[in-house]
Amino acid sequence: MSTQQPVLQLQNLTRVHGAGATEVHALRGIDLAVYPGELVAVMGPSGSGKSTLLTIAGGLDTPSSGRVIVEDTDITAASVKELAALRRRSVGYVFQDYNLIPALTAAENVALPRELDGTSARKARVEATAALEEMGLGHLADRFPDEMSGGQQQRVAIARALVGDRRLVLADEPTGALDSETGESVLALLRSRCDAGAAGVLVTHEPRFAAWADRVVFLRDGAIVDQTVRSDADSLLSGQVAEA
Amino acid sequence: MKTWFHSWRAAIRIARRDAWRSKGRSALVLAMIALPILGVSALDLTYRSSQLSPAEKLERTIGAADARFSDAQVNGVPIFQDPAGEMHTTVKDYEDEPWPSGSTDVTKAIPAGSTVLTDGSGSAKLTTAHGLLGAEVRELKASDPIARGIMTLLEGRFPEKNDEVMATSHFLESSGLSIGATLSARNFDRPYRIVGSYELPDSLTTDQVNALPGAFLAPYAKAVEKAGLPAPDLSVSYLVRKSGGFTWNTVKEINTRGVAVVSRAVLLDPPAESEVPLNQKEGFRGYETSSEASAADLASLATVVGLAMLEICLLAGPAFAVGARRSRRQLGLVGANGGARSHIRAIVLSGGLVIGVAAAVTGIVLALVLTLVLEPVLEDAMGQRFGAFDIRPLELLGIALLAVLTGLLAAVVPAFTASRQTVLASLTGRRGVRRSSRVLPVIGLVALLIGGAVALFGSMVSQQVVLVAAGSALAELGVVAMTPALVGLFGRTGRWLPLSPRLALRDAVRNRGRTAPAVAAVLAAVAGTVAVSTYMASREAQNRAGYEATLPYGVAAAFVQEEGGRDAPAVRDAVQRNFPVDVRADVARISVGKPGCAPWGGEGAGCGRYEVVVPPANECPLYASVPGGGDPAEKYTPEQRRKLVTEDWRCKESASSGMYVSDGGLLIGDASLLKVLGVDDPATEKALADGRIVAFNRTLVDGKGTIGIKQITDIAAADKASQEGRPAPGKVSTLPAYLVPGEKKSYGLQALMTPATAKAAGLSTAPLGLYVSTERLPDSEQRQKLDSDLAKLGGNVELHLEEGFVNEYGIVLLALAVFAGLVTIGAAGIATGLAQADAEADLKTLAAVGAPPRVRRTLSGFQCGVVAAMGVILGSAAGLLPAVGLRLTEERDELRYYEQNLAEGWSGDLTPPDVPIVIPWETLAGLLVAVPLGAALLAALVTRSRGALARRAAT
Amino acid sequence: MSIRHGLLALLERGPRYGSQLRTEFESRTGSTWPLNVGQVYTTLNRLERDGMVAQGGEDTAGHTLYTITDSGRAELRTWFEKPVDRTSPARDELAIKLAMAVGAPGVDIRNVIQSQRRHTVKAMQDYTRLKAQALLAVEGGGARERDDVAWLLVLEQLIFQTEAEARWLDHCESRLIRLSATAATAGTEASSGPSSSSAPTVSAAPNVPTAPRTSAS
Repeated sequence: MSTQQPVLQLQNLTRVHGAGATEVHALRGIDLAVYPGELVAVMGPSGSGKSTLLTIAGGLDTPSSGRVIVEDTDITAASVKELAALRRRSVGYVFQDYNLIPALTAAENVALPRELDGTSARKARVEATAALEEMGLGHLADRFPDEMSGGQQQRVAIARALVGDRRLVLADEPTGALDSETGESVLALLRSRCDAGAAGVLVTHEPRFAAWADRVVFLRDGAIVDQTVRSDADSLLSGQVAEA
Repeated sequence: MKTWFHSWRAAIRIARRDAWRSKGRSALVLAMIALPILGVSALDLTYRSSQLSPAEKLERTIGAADARFSDAQVNGVPIFQDPAGEMHTTVKDYEDEPWPSGSTDVTKAIPAGSTVLTDGSGSAKLTTAHGLLGAEVRELKASDPIARGIMTLLEGRFPEKNDEVMATSHFLESSGLSIGATLSARNFDRPYRIVGSYELPDSLTTDQVNALPGAFLAPYAKAVEKAGLPAPDLSVSYLVRKSGGFTWNTVKEINTRGVAVVSRAVLLDPPAESEVPLNQKEGFRGYETSSEASAADLASLATVVGLAMLEICLLAGPAFAVGARRSRRQLGLVGANGGARSHIRAIVLSGGLVIGVAAAVTGIVLALVLTLVLEPVLEDAMGQRFGAFDIRPLELLGIALLAVLTGLLAAVVPAFTASRQTVLASLTGRRGVRRSSRVLPVIGLVALLIGGAVALFGSMVSQQVVLVAAGSALAELGVVAMTPALVGLFGRTGRWLPLSPRLALRDAVRNRGRTAPAVAAVLAAVAGTVAVSTYMASREAQNRAGYEATLPYGVAAAFVQEEGGRDAPAVRDAVQRNFPVDVRADVARISVGKPGCAPWGGEGAGCGRYEVVVPPANECPLYASVPGGGDPAEKYTPEQRRKLVTEDWRCKESASSGMYVSDGGLLIGDASLLKVLGVDDPATEKALADGRIVAFNRTLVDGKGTIGIKQITDIAAADKASQEGRPAPGKVSTLPAYLVPGEKKSYGLQALMTPATAKAAGLSTAPLGLYVSTERLPDSEQRQKLDSDLAKLGGNVELHLEEGFVNEYGIVLLALAVFAGLVTIGAAGIATGLAQADAEADLKTLAAVGAPPRVRRTLSGFQCGVVAAMGVILGSAAGLLPAVGLRLTEERDELRYYEQNLAEGWSGDLTPPDVPIVIPWETLAGLLVAVPLGAALLAALVTRSRGALARRAAT
Repeated sequence: MSIRHGLLALLERGPRYGSQLRTEFESRTGSTWPLNVGQVYTTLNRLERDGMVAQGGEDTAGHTLYTITDSGRAELRTWFEKPVDRTSPARDELAIKLAMAVGAPGVDIRNVIQSQRRHTVKAMQDYTRLKAQALLAVEGGGARERDDVAWLLVLEQLIFQTEAEARWLDHCESRLIRLSATAATAGTEASSGPSSSSAPTVSAAPNVPTAPRTSAS
């Protein structure tokens, strides 16, 4: 639907864990492209390869074959060092829980990737505070993780995932440890970030949260079996919701 | 560069907050690093503060004067001196001529127009509250502005009248006197009133009494001489003040009159080396320590510091490893947010940096505070007041760097381990056997082999102890590096153990990353202890075997040589009073000249000495003096020498060996002395009673069965004669002798006669002291009492009590074992804490399958015990080797010396030296059994049976 | 049942006429529950017959206004307090379809489930999108807040109901997989291996959507 360049492209991706008798095919020939402004949810039963897909997309794991392209860069053959740099500059992660470094305040947590990348502490902090303000989290800036609720921590983690020039957020069950209402607020934030131009991949097993996505990809046994396409927003308001 | 800096700042921030969050662990590591730093910097501060600047030193030696003039005692001939005025020698070389000696009139050398203050000193026996105390009496007008700075008035005032004195605080303390009390000296009945107390800033423990010039020493000397005793030496120097001071040239000019000068101007502005003529003199050059010696000192210092740092690193390393393990999830998150491996390393290393810096600051600040607060205590301990409180920023910075380096080094291995983990594994918290580095054990093996070879070479080929030590140290470092691999070997032994120990052993082996440093720390400490203990125990065994008693067991001897044995009765009383005396034998010596003379003659007029004449026919040809000098032994070949030494009775040393009792080993006493010394021979007693000299040494008795005693009255002539190899002139009294048959051990006594015999032969005697045999060995309390009684006599009493062989190293061995034990328990405790942090999940699983709560306790006990046991086993093995090597080297060394002696015919002893190797089983058993057991019990005791339930991991 | 009570609830806020009631009802339920005017008047007649509403004059445009009576209010209270009856299971086409698909020759039941799941999730996505807008409106405040909140609750009811269906589909699938795995080990190779459906099928199967289920009675 978009003529823009995809932020993330997975091409014919496979990942095999172990070898011989214990060989497990976690992913088989995945093709997926995520565009700016798009939130893609990945659903599937346990062991379908959801998390593996996410770790490979962010360079935490390497594929057995296939290609991963993040913002025009093929990271399949990147070195460990280059992958770290990629995570500093292009990809942000949000995990199920304990996303924040307990020793750092919210603002410092958000500033961390920038600082690791060599930005001066002051500049990184200004950026981090701005990012927090923009997401309505300005009041949390000076709190330590153990002074925040789980939902607040996750939202700060999203802020960190998208600080600076990073446009791709990879979220692995970000609502898993939260109650329904709080989880909703986290997804609302993710949704709004994507509406503002970021690209997101969300792994979840809860359809209710997957429903926040523009596109839902169904994974089974390491392969994409189906996906929903985004419906035209106008059709929703026409009162014909019941019809597909 | 800038990038690097910013990312490090982030790392340091995380590390700092983490250190603050886990205060207990941080405090532990901080203390470990800060304590040595505290010690070293306090030492540095104390040393530097006690080092005086030339100006400070001058104030203490010459006060406000410009110079101190003193007699060089060379009869006024020209001298060369060093700029400090501490050393001097005559300009001319007197190789064969007699050295000039005698005083000169110093005052003539003092330039006109100077202000002069005399500073005289001598010694006196002063009466105290307890008895007598030998002290220095200094005649200096201390209140004079010129003397300001030499003596510090503490209380009271300076003496103003001739019958007033002041005393050092140390003298007042040891004499029991106080200000206002009366002081007098022995043989001198003039009373002096103590009006003040003072101290000498450079020597706080000196017993000194200060009087006005001429008020004490001169009348005292007169009174002593009147009592028939030699007058004490009196030395006078002059403090001189003259406008313009004394330049080096002036000093050199004054030197021509045989006067040495300590000049303020010269000391503050020393002349160039080339301008000091003394430096051209043979033997006065290069007085400073040789560079080789200081290099060796430096090397050993570096080794000690290095080993201490290694030990601290090994102890602190596991603590950082725990930190890294606990925050694994956090490090994983940093990785997920783009932290490269270098960033992870930076965070863990920053932990070391933060702790190191904190330890440096804490240690140095505490050292500053402590040194300042404890300054009086330190000054008392050193017996010297500090100069200015001297802080050397560069040296303290160096010490601080050492702390930071230690912290960083301790964190290096955990940092690399943490950074090697994949981000994914860190995030998911998957555990597994972390493969330890393969490089390290290989390096260790290489170091072990090289070190072993060097030590072997050292002990087998070169006999260089340094090589053995260096090789052993290298080999030991190699073993430390191999620890992870060695720990792996222990894992195989665990199959048949019960659950808890098996779990503990497996856990320790699987997690070598944390076990190995702790084991290595224990290993290093234990190895050192075992090495030193084994070496010392072996030395002790050798000493015990080679011990020669100076007296029969339980016998005591006390001699007074001074003042013609005036205090001998008091000494005899004191011994009789304090010791459980069985048999007492009073002894006397022959005295020649005035009764107050010292036995060796001395310099006083009218004093002489005596000799027991050895008949020329009885002299061993190897040692007999040859007219014109020279070594008589050189005339013989080694074979002849060996024959003489082994076969000629004249050359046997056994008869003349033993403790020194008097010249020629001749004593005056009765048969009770024979009893005390264990000479049980009725014939001897009879001969003694018959008025004969009883001789224990055959060489003393001439062919006619007599012994000659020569009384020498002209000592100067005798000295000249002996220089020229002629017998000394003197009257010889010949007495009939009885040679004690067989070789009786007489402990240095070579000849004995009764007082009656001496009197009959016209020999005058002086009391010397006594021998006593005791019913039982006097205990420590009795000995202390006797010591204090003898001290009250204020003189020199030679006291010897034969206690048999006393082990000097016992306390050192114990201290070493305790030290090793503490390190072991500490290291094992740290490793256990680490294991507990890791094992939380396992323990939950155990609890879930129904293990009783005490399993947690027993498991932690066994974990601690396993680490301690592995460390002490490896350490004992590693420690025995260098000790054995060192002993082997010594054995070879002694054998070589023995063979050389034998070959050259110097030794008649045909039994080769025995250099035993004794393993200190008590220490070893304590380390091998008691320490691991104690560590295990301690760990079990301090572990709570129920852990915090469901504590969330990985935060 | 619920149209009755829905109208009563609207009337409690003041007299309304028939078509006005229809408009309000639809806006409250976000047009997810379409009504025709005939339905409204039939219901009003029944309510009037039961004495729960009464005709009460006309407005300026001449529409007959209905007002709620006391017994109507009492009925409304009772309705609010009484839980929704769950004793008679709703007839569900999807359940019947899946039951029929099991063992039907030539039908891959996993494909049936997946196409239904895609549809269900798609519907949820749509509801969620609406909900996001509603949330914005609620948080933005305004005159229609009360209606927005009501609309939000209805949407969420739909979402949760749909989610239940999606979860049920998940469960059916994993149950079927387990059963087929057991059958495979019993000797007969399962015809529907995992690879048989690996190709993404984005074709829109013309299934009749079951959500929202309008059980108009």
